[in-house]
Amino acid sequence: MDVRVAHLALDRGARRVLDIDALDFPAGSVTAVFGPNGSGKTSLLRCIAGLERPRGSVTIAGEPVRRGDPRVAFAFQESVFLHDTVRANLALGLALRDIPRLERDGRIADMAEECGLAAVLDRPARSLSAGEAQRANLARTLALAAPITLLDEPLSGFDRIGRARMLEEIPALLATHATTAIIVTHDREEAFRLADRLVLLVGGRVAAVGPAGPLYRRPPDAVTARLLGHTVIELDDRTIGFPPGALRRGPGEPGFRVVVVREVDMGNHRHLIGRFGTGPGAVAVELRLDPDEPGAAPGEDLLVHPAHWTEFGRG
Amino acid sequence: MGELAAGLGDAFRLLLSGDAEVYAIAGRTLLISAAATALSLAIGCPAGLALARGRFRGRTLLLSLVHTGMGMPPVVVGLVLWLLITRSGPLGGLGLAYTPTAMIAAQFLIATPLVIGFTAASVQSLPPLLPDLLATLGAGRLRSLWLLLREARLGMLAAVMAGFGAVVSEVGAAMTVGGNLRGSTRVLTTAIVTATGRGDLSQAAALGIILLALAFAVTFLLTRLQQRRTD
Repeated sequence: MDVRVAHLALDRGARRVLDIDALDFPAGSVTAVFGPNGSGKTSLLRCIAGLERPRGSVTIAGEPVRRGDPRVAFAFQESVFLHDTVRANLALGLALRDIPRLERDGRIADMAEECGLAAVLDRPARSLSAGEAQRANLARTLALAAPITLLDEPLSGFDRIGRARMLEEIPALLATHATTAIIVTHDREEAFRLADRLVLLVGGRVAAVGPAGPLYRRPPDAVTARLLGHTVIELDDRTIGFPPGALRRGPGEPGFRVVVVREVDMGNHRHLIGRFGTGPGAVAVELRLDPDEPGAAPGEDLLVHPAHWTEFGRG
Repeated sequence: MGELAAGLGDAFRLLLSGDAEVYAIAGRTLLISAAATALSLAIGCPAGLALARGRFRGRTLLLSLVHTGMGMPPVVVGLVLWLLITRSGPLGGLGLAYTPTAMIAAQFLIATPLVIGFTAASVQSLPPLLPDLLATLGAGRLRSLWLLLREARLGMLAAVMAGFGAVVSEVGAAMTVGGNLRGSTRVLTTAIVTATGRGDLSQAAALGIILLALAFAVTFLLTRLQQRRTD
């Protein structure tokens, strides 16, 4: 099922938190909603779940969404549970959707296995550690296998190993049920690994939409570029953006000079932190060093250029 | 102290001898107070929930009125109700004066603010996201209401206990609107007043002990329900 957002406006007091003219989520697509804190990511999910009363419309497969819409499953960022066992909490949504007991039990067992909760299923949900609670929260939502799945920062409670596993599991699970998924994250790696499309939100407005790769390689504007982790600098009268790792030592087009701040050993590689420009407008840049490349002393003046870059219009 | 000890003896004697009138009074007390508490729950729970979750003008004012009502002197409630149902009052035609129904109504008015206040407080202490969570899990309006109240059950059972405790032990309203008629509106508290007035102190003490035992038994059952561990 597809989700269509049209002429959406949501106010909190005097503040407009969402202002979206048109935004579509095609059936079966997985979209990452990416943006800085306070950009309206969670509010957008809440509108799509029917939990807010915005102006404009949100439709799922052509039908307006309503509060408690059974087509939507929502994993909130905050893990909230009823005073009951983990198992009972996972079962509640399935029971409310009239899933037969036998299938319910099967799905709970599967999701508990996937999310590393098998050992705590019969514990009180409110006794879980923060990480376990986040996983139970995600499991509860994914077990519903709803046509529309909304995940708000789903991996914040996982450790490195669990996170790596879920980065593989979540896309597989979503694909199994041909779910249209919308995932809010502020982690670029998560966005790229979980989703095939990006929606960038800035100040409640859509700054960019598109497949993640091309958007990263050719950001449409400086705001998008910065959000995706690019370095953006003003060079004479041009605005230039380049992704991490693009900077090279030596002359080139467009070349510029940076002052070395310090050298950082990251283990598998070293890089130089440099400063471009002076005063409050100075921009920190990163210059990746090859293993046998000599470093540079702090204060040294280096001529550098980006191997690939994007030029933006003024504005 | 002699009366109290004699009362204790009398209480046991009255209970064991199967004194029909004492049993009738105790049963009537339980029935009237339970009915009043049940009614106040039926009205007070949804009202408390609405006050806790609603965002409307005058909410704080309403909540303050409820909180004031929680400490209302029963005899004042009884008086106001009496002025309404007395033969010359606006509701005089209903013929409610000196009936158990009038007593239930009076006790309902006493218990309801307590139930509303306790319900509102316990629902407000739940995680604010809970209603949204229940909605997205697929709970409809009534189901959500039920699950929310169940989540707030510690406070809810406190509401039941406070409501029942207040009405089973009050005497002012029961006396005013019920009139303490033997065989129809005499309850334990009014019977105690009568026995005391008569100077039959050991009878009064016996009835008092029965009242305490009754209140304790009901509260004990509710407390067990409240403290049953599900987490």
